[in-house]
Order: sequence, then C-alpha cells, then structure tokens
Amino acid sequence: MDALWVLYLQRLRRDRWQLTSWVLSIGVLAWFAVEAIATTFGNQAARAEILQLATATPAILVLRGLARGPELGAFTFFEIYTFLALLAGLMNTFLAVRHTRAEEESGRAELVFATAAGRWVPLAATVLHGAVANVLVAGATAIGFLGGGLDPAGSIVAGLATGAAGFAFLGVGLLAGRFFSTSRGANGISAALVMLAYLLRGFGDATGQISGDGLTVTAAWPSWLSPIGWGQQTFAYTGNRLWPLLLPLVVGAGCVAVVGIITARRDVGTSLLAGRAGPAEAAPTLRGPFSLALRLQRGAIIGWCIGGLAMGVLTGSLGNAIQSAITTNPQVTAALRAMVEAQGTSMTQLLIAALFEVSGILAAACGLQAVLRLRQEEVAGTAGLVLSEPVSRMRWLRSFLELGAVSVVLVMAFTAVGAWFSLLLAGDSSGAVADIWQTALNQLPAALIYLSLPAAVFVLWPRATIAVGWALLGLGVVFGVYGGMLGFDRTLRDLSPFTHSPVTTGTGTDWSGGFWMLGITAVLTVFALAAVRRREVGAA
Amino acid sequence: MDTAIRTVDLHKNFGQVKALDGLDLEVSTGEIHGFLGPNGAGKTTTLRILLGLARASSGSASVLGLHPWADAVELHRRVASVPGDVALWPNLSGGEAIDLLFRLRGGTTDSPVYRQRKQRLCDVFDFDPTKRGRAYSKGNRQKVALIAALVTDAELYLFDEPTSGLDPLMESVFTAEIHRIVQENGSSVLLSSHILSEVEHLASRVSIIRSGRIVDGGTLDSLRHLTRTEISFTRDGVDMDTLATAPQVHDLSLDGDRVKFGADSDRVHEVLPLLGALGVKGLLVAPPSLEELFLHHYGDSIAAPAETADGGPHSHRHRHLTTRTGA
Ligand SMILES: Nc1ncnc2c1ncn2[C@@H]1O[C@H](COP(=O)(O)OP(=O)(O)OP(=O)(O)O)[C@@H](O)[C@H]1O
Ligand SMILES: [Mg+2]
Repeated sequence: MDALWVLYLQRLRRDRWQLTSWVLSIGVLAWFAVEAIATTFGNQAARAEILQLATATPAILVLRGLARGPELGAFTFFEIYTFLALLAGLMNTFLAVRHTRAEEESGRAELVFATAAGRWVPLAATVLHGAVANVLVAGATAIGFLGGGLDPAGSIVAGLATGAAGFAFLGVGLLAGRFFSTSRGANGISAALVMLAYLLRGFGDATGQISGDGLTVTAAWPSWLSPIGWGQQTFAYTGNRLWPLLLPLVVGAGCVAVVGIITARRDVGTSLLAGRAGPAEAAPTLRGPFSLALRLQRGAIIGWCIGGLAMGVLTGSLGNAIQSAITTNPQVTAALRAMVEAQGTSMTQLLIAALFEVSGILAAACGLQAVLRLRQEEVAGTAGLVLSEPVSRMRWLRSFLELGAVSVVLVMAFTAVGAWFSLLLAGDSSGAVADIWQTALNQLPAALIYLSLPAAVFVLWPRATIAVGWALLGLGVVFGVYGGMLGFDRTLRDLSPFTHSPVTTGTGTDWSGGFWMLGITAVLTVFALAAVRRREVGAA
Repeated sequence: MDTAIRTVDLHKNFGQVKALDGLDLEVSTGEIHGFLGPNGAGKTTTLRILLGLARASSGSASVLGLHPWADAVELHRRVASVPGDVALWPNLSGGEAIDLLFRLRGGTTDSPVYRQRKQRLCDVFDFDPTKRGRAYSKGNRQKVALIAALVTDAELYLFDEPTSGLDPLMESVFTAEIHRIVQENGSSVLLSSHILSEVEHLASRVSIIRSGRIVDGGTLDSLRHLTRTEISFTRDGVDMDTLATAPQVHDLSLDGDRVKFGADSDRVHEVLPLLGALGVKGLLVAPPSLEELFLHHYGDSIAAPAETADGGPHSHRHRHLTTRTGA
C-alpha cells in the first residue's frame, strides 16, 4: 500500500505541470464555449436556425457533434463536447504510455520492479493516477460549463461524459503500451485510435437520422463504436442519461484487466509485438542523415498520411449528402461560416475547406514530429553517433527539416487524392472538385511554420523543444481553428498560423497571408541553420 | 606531425561546475595513450571537446592539427570514436547501424574489403548484427560502436571507456584489436578508463586526470618510480637505528617479527648497501603496484588506506604537487 502511494505521488509530481495544463485547458475551453455561444447565438430562435442548417450539412456534424435541440446547454454540448473528449482522450493515452512503456524503455521500470513494488503496483499506480486525472477533467469540464451559466445537472453529466471517455482511452493507452515495444509506437497508435474514435462518431453523427424539424439527430451505428459517441449519448442538458457512460467505463476497465493479465505473464520490458530480427546489412538507400531521418519517421509519416487520406475520403463520402444541399443562398453560407472556420461559395467548397483545414493540422503535426525527432535523437544519444562522423550540425538539422517539409506535402497530397477520388465516385462534378489541389496547397504555409519555429526553439532552448513544439501547435489550433467559435478576439486568433492560411473562394485565392508565412519560415529556417553551428550537441 | 592531440589550459564550465580546469594533455602520434581518472574527473568532457561535440570555455585544443570545434567535419573524416554511453536506434539492426555509420564517412559498404572486415570483427566480438537496437544488451550495444569504429581506417581513435559492459574475453579481443590497428596503420589512440588493468595492457603512456586537471602523466614505468617501494626483512636482532636515521627510509615499523619500511622507488639502490651492511635475512622488496599508484591519485576516501601506509595525507599531498610540477 505504501509503495502504491509512493509511486502514485511520484507520478503526480512528475506530471504536475502537464496535468494542470491539460485539465485547465479543457475546463477553460468549456467555459469559453458557453460564453462565446451565448454571445454569438444569443436567442433560442437563432440557435434553432443554425441547428437546422447544421443538420443539413454533414461536414458540420462531423466536426461538431450530435444535435439535441436549440436549448443553450444542449447546443453548447453539441458544439464543443467532441473536441473536449478528443483532448481528454489524448491526455489519457499520453499519460498511460508515459508511465508504462516509456518507463520500461528507459530502463527505469526495471529499477522499480526490482524493489518491493513488484510488477503490479506500478500498473496500479498508473491506473490510479489516470483515474484521478479523469475525475479532475470531469470536474473542470463541469465547472467550466457551470461557470458559463449552464444548469448544474447537465453540466455534471457533461463533465462525467468527458471524464468517462477519457478513462476508456486510458485503457487504450495502457493496452497499446503492452503491444508496442517503443513509446513512440504506442503513443502513435493510441493517438490514432483517439482520432479514429472522433471520426467514427463524426461519421455516425453525419449519417444519422434527422428529426422532422431538423433540430435533433439520432446517431447512426458508427457513433456507437466510439467512446466519444457514447459520451454524446448522455444527451446532457436534455436527457441527462448516465447509463451510456457505463460503456466507456467498462471498456476502460476491460483494457486494464487485459493489461493485468498480460503483465502477469510477461517479463518487464518485453512487448507482445516483439521486434523481429533485422537485416545484417543496411539497404543501399540508408546512407545519409536524410535517409536516416526518413527511416526513423517512416511509421509516423505513414500514420499521418492515412489520417490525411481519411479526411479526404470523408469529403467525398459526405459528398452525396451535400449534393442535395447545394445552395447559393448567401444567408445560409454566411451562417455556416460562423460555425466552420472556412469560406467558400458552394457547400462542397465549404466542406473541402473545413476538412482540409483539419488535414492541414495533421500535416503540421507530422512535420513537427520530424523536427522534434532531432531533440529525441539528441537526448537518446544517437545524435552524437551521427555528429561524430563527417556530418555537420547544419546538414543534420537541414535533413530533418527537409524530411518535415516532405511529410507535410505528403499528408496534404494524400488528403487531396482521397478527396478527389471520393468526390468523383460520389458523382460530384462541380467546380469545387478542381479546387481540391489549390486548397491542399493553401494549407502548406501554416504547416511549414511548424517546422521552422520548433527548429529555432531546438537551437535556442533545446530542453523545451518538445513541450513548446506541441504547445505551439495546440495553441495554434485552438486560436486559429476553434477561435472563432470560442469567441476569441481577432488579435488572439491572428496569432495562429492557421488563421492566415490562404482561402480559395469563387473569385480566386488570396495568398498574402501565405506569402507572409513562407517568408517567416524562410527567416526562421535560415536562423536555425546558422545558429545550430554554434550549438553544442547534447546541450540542455 | 608528431603530436596527435594537444590541449593547452583547457577549461570547460557547466554553470558553476568546472568540468575542466586547465587541462594540458598531449598525445603523440602512433601511441596508445591511457586517460585515467575517477568518476566525474572530466574524461568524457575532454573527449567530447576533442571531437568537436562540445566547445571549450577557454584554452586551446588541437587534434591532428585541426581545431576540433571549427573543423569538426574535416576532423571526423580522420577520427573514429566510441562514446562513453552507446545509444542505438531502436528500430535499426546492429548491422544496419554499422553500415550507416560507415557510409556517413563516405565509405562504400559494397567493397569486399569492408565486408570482410565487418564480418571478421563480428566474428571475433561474437556479435549478432541482425538484432534490433532495442534488443541489444549493454555489452552488445558497446560492440556496435566498437565495430563501427574499428572497421574504419582512422588516424586517431578516441575511446571513452571502451570496454565498459564487455566480458573479460571480449576485453582481451578489444586489446588485441587495438594493438592491431596501431601496428598496421600507425594510428594514435586515446582511451579513457577508470580501470587500471585495461590501460596497463594497452597504453604506452598515461595521463591521470582529476577534477579537470592532469595530475600525473608519463610512461607507466616512470610513474612507478614516483611511489614508494615496500621493503621488509626478518628482525632477528638487527640494529634498526641506522635505518631510522637514513633519509631514504620512511615509516619504519615492526610487524610481528618483520621490520618494514618504505623507500622512494628511485632511491632503492641507495638503501640496499645499508641493508647489506646490516646483514638482513629474509629480504623482500615489493615494487609499488599500479593499484597503489592509481589510488594515490583518486579521491581521498578511496586513497585513505594507501596513504596511511605511506606516511599520512600531508606528506602525500606534497609529493603530489612536486610530481606535477616536475612532470
Ligand atoms: N552537461 C553537463 N551539465 C552539467 N555538468 C556536467 C555536464 N557534463 C558533465 N558535467 C560535469 O562535469 C564533470 C565531469 O564530467 P565527465 O562526464 O567528463 O566525467 P568522467 O570523467 O567522464 O566521469 P565517468 O568516469 O563517470 O564517466 C562532472 O562533475 C559532471 O557532473
Ligand atoms: Mg565518462
């Protein structure tokens, strides 16, 4: 018992800042959402109108949620819950992997295992830590909604729905940690599963049964495959059902049980998907820092490209539904623009703009990972091996930046190809299809910022590279993509690169923001390349 | 060029910590130079500066006539190294890592010479190149770095505790390989260690570093001369007064029926006539072990036993200083 307590406190202490920022972000987002919605869509009638538009526009349902009427609470839940649950999911999978697989990888787990703590207590401490974190998330969400002035019962249900979804992903993360032998692999796959859960329910919501008045949607079956979908089924503020939350809790507990069984049977440090033997000789292509970077990032790039492809395919899968809703009514598009941070003249254009913007985030994340890899290589010590050979620090940094740029382009290319095929298959022949390539190109400048900016951080403040890199991306997404909905003012939203992505409209594309970002990227890149020559390897 | 490495008054500060504090190190071309010192003495820091991975706070360093920080890339074409703590890429096999590192030097791994060398090294080190990085034990990770370094023809090899994690058999393989590269190519080797025996088998000269400074150096034989030889004989009614007043004799004592004292190693020949005149029996002359020499330079706590046997810490510290200024 003592050991459990000690290990729990150690985890809490290690995560104190990280956990605080996750929990606070989630709570504050909930609060902002209520405030912004109360301001923008003040009265019931306005919200009803928007809801009717939304339910007729599957793209919005994918990115928002399950419509359950125009009442302020239900409307807020519809707008923000899936995003909160997404954040809670990522928080949990990272937490789970950080305290299990990553610990084993570093060898620290073995130290603990050798003590009286044995093999069960560390697992129990991680589960306890995660469970408490989810209680905090639930509390923060509920308080956020309450603080915004929503009714207590619904707010508590909404909070519980967020925490419960988080708990399911805690189990997913733990399980991934048992299956994969590296923390990168485990993090990657479990984050991908969180995204999948988000998209599954998006698909289910978008293809669900719309009520006669267009104000409520009954989700189709894919939503029932997703912990985030289960959370939505609580119908917070209108139904306040708690029984759907049994599902994520059972899934989470089930995963923990399976992990327990595996733990009982395996050695510390091993994984179920144990590495196979490798070749005794390197393939001819593995010959320089760029090919090494590619080899290291290959799995991640493939994963992000699949994500991009999925976003693209979603565009066309929803295309049919959109066909019927194509409208030239400017009032409708204006209202939609208030909900989706995108512009366009036709519904298809809107849909492409909205989903490609999400792909742009995936592309940025993929590129960012390539740059963060520099720091991981440095901390692991493998950077020293390369830099002890005739490879200059500049060439080394440049290789990872080049790979980052290639991955950004690849993710957008996969998105565009997926969208192009699926729209053609859906029979959409509108001009919007031709805009696909342009729209994909539009996302590149913002994503490239997420190469050059972390590269500069890597040179100037090595220790902070990874945290700052992800934080910048997170803030960029919240300010730039959700900023409008959350009612952030212009100056705040302008801080995000995504705000400045060029937008293709019927009359063409304004690339002034794009060129600015390309210029900033060029300056930051040149700075990083020049400054890394003066930087020691392995600096703190 | 007859010096492979020369550092003059090298300093390296990490904030308040002075990792190097005026290091003067010289390694001649073609020699195997042992770099000895306790934990935290600054060995790794020195080697990283010599490799251009870290930059000296002040002082100068020249490696193969190049400036290690400014000319790092040029230098790395001519230097092979093994870091103190070998990390591998988890998803690359050992064989892939070795090939990659060789190709980074501009070499081609298709040549029969390379293949044959790599194969031979894998054989003598009993190393399986098909495992993935994460599956290797510490010793096997070490072998990857050793093979990657030894498979190249370098003018200078920098090894940071190269045998840590290797079993004794592999240590002797390593020793043989080092002798080979020096004989075949006339390469220079700087190898850090805190294991004396390893250096004893390999090095022709050593430098002992402590707290960021070289506290002693030279050939092993010359170092031996700087410590005391222990002499003992059967008491057997010998008059000890002549010995007690002789300047060469230190710490005269009785141990059961044997008389013991220490003599400066380079003045033992002056003591022998005295002993001859006394007609001692059961004479035993024990030259100083390198362990003693080594402990002498190590931390105070470790050195305590050696120092009491040798006349107390103060006289010791004094000798310490004279040795350094003399060297
Ligand atoms: N990056 C760093 N930041 C702060 N201090 C450092 C850093 N690297 C080394 N030091 C300090 O510099 C001193 C010398 O360390 P170094 O690693 O060179 O010792 P060493 O002789 O290689 O020791 P060992 O035998 O344990 O490998 C130590 O006091 C160490 O704590
Ligand atoms: Mg060291």
